[in-house]
Amino acid sequence: MLRVRRLTRSYGDSTVLDDVSFEVRPGRITGFVGANGAGKTTTMRIILGVLAPDSGTVEWDGSPLTPELRRRFGYMPEERGLYPKMKVRDQLVFFGRLHGYGKEAAAERARHLLHRLGLAERADDVLETLSLGNQQRVQIAAALMHEPVALVLDEPFSGLDPHAVDSMVQLLRDEVTTEVPVLFSSHQLDLVERLCDDLVILSRGRLVAAGPVEALRRQERPRYRVVLADDADAAWLRDLPELVVTDVDGPRALVELAGTESPSTLLKRIVDRARVEEFAPDVRSLSEIFKEVTR
Amino acid sequence: MNPSAAWRIVAEREISTKLRDKTFLASTAFMLVLVVASMAVPALVGSGDKTEVAVVGSPGAAVVDRADQLGGAVEPTQVADAEAAEEDVRAGEVDVALLPAQDGYEVVGDASVDTPTLESLREALTLQRLEVNAEEAGVTLDQLAEGAQLTERLLDPAPLPEGAVWALTFGFAMVFYITAISFGMVLAQSVVQEKQSRIVEILAAAIPVRALLAGKVVGNTIMGLGQVLLLTFTALVGLRLTGRGDILAEVAGPAAWFALFFVLGFVALAGVWAVAGSVATRNEDLQQTTLPAQALLFIPFFAVLLGSDRVIEIASFVPIASTIAMPVRMISGDVPVWEAVAAAGLVLVVAAGLIVLAASLYERSLLQTQRTVTYRELLRGR
Repeated sequence: MLRVRRLTRSYGDSTVLDDVSFEVRPGRITGFVGANGAGKTTTMRIILGVLAPDSGTVEWDGSPLTPELRRRFGYMPEERGLYPKMKVRDQLVFFGRLHGYGKEAAAERARHLLHRLGLAERADDVLETLSLGNQQRVQIAAALMHEPVALVLDEPFSGLDPHAVDSMVQLLRDEVTTEVPVLFSSHQLDLVERLCDDLVILSRGRLVAAGPVEALRRQERPRYRVVLADDADAAWLRDLPELVVTDVDGPRALVELAGTESPSTLLKRIVDRARVEEFAPDVRSLSEIFKEVTR
Repeated sequence: MNPSAAWRIVAEREISTKLRDKTFLASTAFMLVLVVASMAVPALVGSGDKTEVAVVGSPGAAVVDRADQLGGAVEPTQVADAEAAEEDVRAGEVDVALLPAQDGYEVVGDASVDTPTLESLREALTLQRLEVNAEEAGVTLDQLAEGAQLTERLLDPAPLPEGAVWALTFGFAMVFYITAISFGMVLAQSVVQEKQSRIVEILAAAIPVRALLAGKVVGNTIMGLGQVLLLTFTALVGLRLTGRGDILAEVAGPAAWFALFFVLGFVALAGVWAVAGSVATRNEDLQQTTLPAQALLFIPFFAVLLGSDRVIEIASFVPIASTIAMPVRMISGDVPVWEAVAAAGLVLVVAAGLIVLAASLYERSLLQTQRTVTYRELLRGR
């Protein structure tokens, strides 16, 4: 398990990270969310050892991360970078070797990844002749070359069309084994919602929320969305006992169970008085959570 | 993985990239052509035919033969009369004509007469006339010339003629200057390129930044030295083939020392170049950030080319300047081996110091991809 503990870092007078702690659990994809300048990239750079924290530590399975172990991490920085004039295959082999692969093993691994990415025919092409989407694929292949023990991806899907996102996600799922913790940052909350098991939210350098997505979504009181048939006005729901109506708009209403009543009894009480078109638990979307905690 | 392997992989990439770079291959080929041409052209021109001198009758031919014996490289061609001789000169059949004139002879040329030819003919004629006149006066030429002998004795004979020494000085200086500048720029550019393409962050996450620097320095030093050795070897073979084995024997030793000093001087500067690359954010910044490195090359280059013997002697102990100055001193005279060793030791110390300094500056500036860092900021340790 990867854990950051009490990271603090400032540039000059401005504190970009303030006492941030969270963990990235193995086999789970952890989404890393925050507005621009919240400190995501700084955190990721510190995890990779590219930047030193003013204080705080990065731990692996309970002990401080060593440079040797760190080299087995896979990293895709926000600022993409590969050698523009180098052949795709040579590029991947170079990175594989830097991470300790032998020449043969690196060549074999590069062949495998390029095949998986549908880039086998482009292996001998110079990188800059590839489309941006394909360059991005090569970039992720570079991060996966050495079968990393942990993956840190800074905005891995930015600038990709939905198909490319899907194929990249599939690649991650296939290539990343169940012991590997994955931390990825993104601005695209819908994507994070779809992919992530856990969530870490930063706001202005501080941690404002962390934990499994399901737990963060869970409300203090379960909330339901009711839609009455025939455009009937739902205002009368306010008169029902043990119920808090938070919002009414024509036939639609958002209600919270205030007492010990179960959802089915509530539904029964409503159905007794009107025809119901829809009755469903209302799950908070990630962007709602995000707006709420970063307010 | 052992960390020693990382720099080797980086060095390998530097070299293989360079070997595929068409610009680099073309410029190397061009320099080779220059070296070969500078050897071959004088050899071809130098071995050309003797200057042909048209003469009428045997007295003229005797003068020309005498001039040839004196080293004038002339040969007589008999023609029917003065008119025919002038025609041949005009037509370019012969180079000049030697014709009897009122009080001796005249040399007839077309547009001009080559001075050495004129001098040798004059000397031959003078000697010949003196001989004849002496005989008529009843004395020999030797008697006439008694006490007029002028000989030469050198206290500290130079192993090579002055012209050759100057040519070699210039050659060493140019080779070091050009190679160091061009490979220094290559090194700085490859650092900037990695910053500009943001790849440096992946590299820094994968291997220690120092290993990256070491790989770059080693790779480019090998390429620079390789190029110098290729050119030097070609030049030495050229000397041998064009029959200048005498120069070869004198130059081989200093050339070997030059190679050693080249490596040390180059490595000492490599760190400076790498830092110049790491403080820049774009290729365009390099013009500015490489100024210190350029000055470190530029100043010794001119000091050695234009300086007095004393300046060169001092320069031969000053690191980086010694790369040019020490081999130059060795060509123009005997230098005790301990002096060369001491100078080499000094460069080694300075190179080690500069590399250590460069490594820490490099680590500090490399990941500042947003803006150009000034040297002052770096040295203050921000």
